[in-house]
Amino acid sequence: MVNPSPRPKPRLLESRQLLTLILFAALAWSLLSVEWRNGVLHGGGLRAFGEIGAALFSPDLSLDALAKLLGSVGRTLAYAFAGLSLALVIGFPLGLTASGVLRAPGPMRRLTQGSARLTLAAVRSVHELVWAWLFVAAVGLSPIAAVLALALPYGGILGRVYAELFQDVPEAPLVALRSAGASKLQVFWHGRMPFVLPEFLGYTFYRLECGIRSATVLSFVGLGGLGFEIQIALADLAYGRAWTFILGLVGLILIVEAWSSAIRRRLSP
Amino acid sequence: MSGLPRVSLVRLSMLAAAAMVVASWAFVLGWDRQQGTAFFSTETARRILGFIGDLAGQGLAREPAYSELSEWSRTARLAYDTLTMSVLAIMISAIGALATFMLGARNVATHGGPVARGGFLAVRASWAFVRAVPELVWALLAVFVFSPGILPGAAALAIHNYGVLGKLASEVVEGMDMRPIDALRTAGAGRTKALAYGVLPQVLPRFMTYLLYRWEVVIRTTIVVGFVAAGGLGMEFRLAMSNFHYSTVSLLLMWYLILVLGVDIASSQLRRIAR
Repeated sequence: MVNPSPRPKPRLLESRQLLTLILFAALAWSLLSVEWRNGVLHGGGLRAFGEIGAALFSPDLSLDALAKLLGSVGRTLAYAFAGLSLALVIGFPLGLTASGVLRAPGPMRRLTQGSARLTLAAVRSVHELVWAWLFVAAVGLSPIAAVLALALPYGGILGRVYAELFQDVPEAPLVALRSAGASKLQVFWHGRMPFVLPEFLGYTFYRLECGIRSATVLSFVGLGGLGFEIQIALADLAYGRAWTFILGLVGLILIVEAWSSAIRRRLSP
Repeated sequence: MSGLPRVSLVRLSMLAAAAMVVASWAFVLGWDRQQGTAFFSTETARRILGFIGDLAGQGLAREPAYSELSEWSRTARLAYDTLTMSVLAIMISAIGALATFMLGARNVATHGGPVARGGFLAVRASWAFVRAVPELVWALLAVFVFSPGILPGAAALAIHNYGVLGKLASEVVEGMDMRPIDALRTAGAGRTKALAYGVLPQVLPRFMTYLLYRWEVVIRTTIVVGFVAAGGLGMEFRLAMSNFHYSTVSLLLMWYLILVLGVDIASSQLRRIAR
């Protein structure tokens, strides 16, 4: 997958040593900032660790817990798929604008490209759970708030990656299309899009996988779903019940991970 | 499946995904209709505008928090803690990943004996497991174990990212150019020397790039982990939200954006050095 980078110039070797030094300094600084006086584990920490660990091998398999698990898996999937579809709707046009491939170079392109990039960066920099909390505080508990909270940062990430994909298309086929009299939009649909399609789909499916993980976290603000159930179980100190949902989540993620990586393997040339 | 053309899985997946999207929207919209007020209404627009006003500090008896210097200096400490938490987390996860990545590389495992193969499976399974559980869930568990402060949050972030970095590093090993290593082995270098002069020079620059990318993700998640684990901006964000101190929420969001932007810039500068 990874090709070896060309031999570094001697000057770069020095800067790599500098980077190593910076990383070690950062490690030392962060370790020194921990208040070790309080100890690493708190009072009953070791006992809690043992209990949590033991509960992993005796998850709550009662009918009630399993029914709840099934329901919350459904909700989590619904958030993820609805959110991702909306993220696609947000990310595609913004990514296309941010790539600047539809406009001739000039001040107009700089303006549209710049504002699209800024929008993408802004929605991307706020975590989906923060978005969710803000939406819930503003409009109350609505599943659409969760979908929007997922769609905004994911739209930002998709848009940035799509923009890079659209830009990294070899010029030769595009020149051929242009000289045959194709319009900008035709060049895009018949020149760029077919070229980027495998990577485009592969990345979108990868993000779907991440989206399912994120959707569990979203439900923490009280919107129902796997994260919500884990939180409730832990608040009751019902570790076994918490593991039921955590293991359900792990199973779900592993299935989706296998699915998405199978797709990406087929798509890669 | 094997008889079908290779592209059919992709076609099938796209159809399945499209069906899931339709079903999900039907479910979400149907659920929303059962709520008191429908989401798509003028009431929602009014509430959002009102909330933006709250964030801006409208209707407060005193100055909004973000325009007071004392509030900025009070929360600076929390921003510093959040930054420390992110650095501590990424460093611990890097150490964990560096200790295990050779065991988790398929091409290394197939060269070794049954012990290496067993280690490969164990390490791969541990990565997949810790990666599948989100940071916030790890944080919920970590608060039961670690003493309060930046440790539980850092531990939660480190556990999840250990799985991510380990997987990424092992993929670099799997895609490695084997010629320098073969040359070293033919010249009589032992395993340790082949690792030090053949493997690490290829893997480390790539690993550092991934480390810095993950740091950008970690700083965004640190505030989220702080919601449940004491310490940093997250805890204060939660308190301010529960107490309806929305102008403080704006101040904390400003700090959050400053940290995210700062880390993005620092990371891209450091990546330039790593290259």
